[in-house]
Amino acid sequence: MNTVLALSGVVVKELYRRKDFYVLLVLTALITLLLGSVQFFHDDKIIRYLKEIALLLIWISGLVIAVGTTARQIPAERENRTIFPLLAKPVTRAQVVIGKFAGCWFASGLALIVFYVFFGIVVGSRENHWPFGNYLQAFWLQWSMLAIVIGLVLLGSIVFAAPSSNATICLVCIIGILLLGKHLNTIALQQPKPLGTIVYTLYFLIPHLEWYDVRELVEFDQPLIPWAYCGLASLYAAAYTSMLLFATWFMFRRKALNV
Amino acid sequence: MKNGPAYLLLMLLVTACFSLATIVQPRADRWSQRGQDSVLKVLLGDGRRLFANHFFTKADIYFHSGYYPSIFDTAQPQRENHLASHEEEHDAHDDHEKEADFLGRPKDWVERFGRHFMITKHTHLENGNEREILPWLKLSAELDPQLIDTYTVAAYWLANRMHRIREAEDFLREGLRANPNSYEILFSLGRIYYENEHDAARARNVWELGLRRWNEQEPGKKEPDKLALEELTVNLARLEENEGNLDKAIAYLEMAKKVSPAPQNLEQQIHELKQKVAAHHPAA
Amino acid sequence: MASIVELKNLRVEYRAATSPQGKKVAVKDLNLRINAGEVFGFLGPNGAGKTTTMNVLLGFVNATAGDAYLFGVNVREPIARQRIGYLPELTYYYKFLTAEEILRFYAKIFKIPKAETENRIDRLLKLVELEPARNRPLKTYSKGMQQRVGLAQALINDPDLLILDEPTSGLDPLGRMKVREIIQRLKSEGKTVFFSSHELGEVETVCDRVAIINQGELKVEGPVAELISSYQANLEQIFLKIIGYQPQPN
Repeated sequence: MNTVLALSGVVVKELYRRKDFYVLLVLTALITLLLGSVQFFHDDKIIRYLKEIALLLIWISGLVIAVGTTARQIPAERENRTIFPLLAKPVTRAQVVIGKFAGCWFASGLALIVFYVFFGIVVGSRENHWPFGNYLQAFWLQWSMLAIVIGLVLLGSIVFAAPSSNATICLVCIIGILLLGKHLNTIALQQPKPLGTIVYTLYFLIPHLEWYDVRELVEFDQPLIPWAYCGLASLYAAAYTSMLLFATWFMFRRKALNV
Repeated sequence: MKNGPAYLLLMLLVTACFSLATIVQPRADRWSQRGQDSVLKVLLGDGRRLFANHFFTKADIYFHSGYYPSIFDTAQPQRENHLASHEEEHDAHDDHEKEADFLGRPKDWVERFGRHFMITKHTHLENGNEREILPWLKLSAELDPQLIDTYTVAAYWLANRMHRIREAEDFLREGLRANPNSYEILFSLGRIYYENEHDAARARNVWELGLRRWNEQEPGKKEPDKLALEELTVNLARLEENEGNLDKAIAYLEMAKKVSPAPQNLEQQIHELKQKVAAHHPAA
Repeated sequence: MASIVELKNLRVEYRAATSPQGKKVAVKDLNLRINAGEVFGFLGPNGAGKTTTMNVLLGFVNATAGDAYLFGVNVREPIARQRIGYLPELTYYYKFLTAEEILRFYAKIFKIPKAETENRIDRLLKLVELEPARNRPLKTYSKGMQQRVGLAQALINDPDLLILDEPTSGLDPLGRMKVREIIQRLKSEGKTVFFSSHELGEVETVCDRVAIINQGELKVEGPVAELISSYQANLEQIFLKIIGYQPQPN
């Protein structure tokens, strides 16, 4: 556990010492505050468009931070040769994989907390209303989704040669799943066999990231999701992430370290 | 004389600059005119119309608090945006409720579970929350000022639900500046004057102008906009009736009857008005 | 005397498309023992198999055949590396961390208690003369400073075996002298040092025993004094003779 926590600490330090996080935060803040200063038809109570845009920016930033941070972890360790003094210690490759995952996940979580606090302050100051339960659920579900994303990108960093190609391919897949994932069953039913069967199988196999996108529930002031379902979604994310991490370890354990 | 070639070069350069200016100046003028367009129009080009349509639909999505079919849910190729048509009738509902139940039964456990994380209830914004649709309508108008529905729909919600008469009028005027021949906008403006500001004279002027514009544009078309004509003539008839000009009212109702899907109702009204005229002028 | 390092018929092969057999043998049936408390020099020309052998000991590379043991534990077990310190030839560490943070990170991996960690960090930074720069990120360090950080991290767990791959590479004469002093001090504390180097003068001064490897095969092994006496030459001449170097006639 010490090793995993030590490795994750290094990743978190890397996040807040790089510029990416601050650039995204400033951009999000600037766009949100700029849009918030616009008045439509002299009505200063209009807020939902602002919530939508702010949450969209938070989602984009969260994905960019998660994918960007994770894609370069193991390749950078190999390229910079920092993997050698690390593995020369009593550290297994499994611990490296778990430590990197934990670090990227904690780092993404910290970034999300900052974004959501900013969101809460800006929106709450306008609405005079702070639905903490909704915000907490939105944060927790997005963070759970990022666990799956980080697992996927970590696996990709072992499979693909370059961090840039890994990040691009993973982002395309993730965005595809978010936009189309929940509709694949409808598409499958409209296709002739065997294509329909293939698409339906894909529908069951892909991680259903769209479950975790509850922005609309926050934007339109919907009631809380029952906590039992949040728990089940979290378990699903944990299971999927574990599978991805196992696959990552399985491929990493025999990989040459470019000695 | 030693500096001769240098002076010659300088003269050639100056000549070239002036010649280039005659080519560049008209282009620069066109650019500066273009600069009066908004940044969005310059950046997006003609693609802005796609965005304008998307934002108009976005207003409808907001009106339904996010409960809205995707392109995969709609069986019909083009679902009518119901913010745009028959704004007064949007409350009539069993048909609308049935049409809006696009989700249906979940096809599998994944979809059943996923429905806990999305909006599944059909609602409409009310109690002042209708304001939330305004930014998207404003943005849609900004991107495509030729999209008439944006102005008329926004004006309806501003005037009738939010009681922002001045803003509704200003927005319609903005639409009229971009679309001076639009009888739809003229009709909506007339309603503002008549129903909200109780200014019959202005309403009459604007509706008569709208009628003239309709007569200039629609009759030659394969499918003229009969609904707009009926609305204009019926409202003019109502105005004239209230002002005591019963003959004019009858004339407008006769025009409306020709295009109405329910002419018998209008016939009934014409009959009543004729009786009133006869009662006023028994000798004739 | 107990063997700290033991290699038994170690063989390492790599796939090589250019080779007629489709493989390259980096280490051929190497047998070696290093005893506790000695300073052992591992010599050979470039490409001889020194780094490959070290990489097998450190678990970076799996042996094709044979076994390697550290403190009697097979090197495939991570616990074998609990009591070793390793200084790679090319020292790269996390550039965004300071020297202090890197040492703290590695100390945490070894589960060293917090108070002891702080003591060791202070002591090691003083030893490698990086006290004034302890809070600067590594990206601001010169090559020599990075090498010294490497030495400090290799010593953070107070290892019983130190594996050094070209420890004086890139150091100025003063730096090299400091490294020699550290090695001699470790020896006096009963530690075992296993290092490879091209600085044969240093090896002759510091090492108790040496092994010379060429083209993956062990050519000669023994105490430095014995080799010098038996070949009647200095270590450099012995090295050149073993690898088959023939000087060109003038």
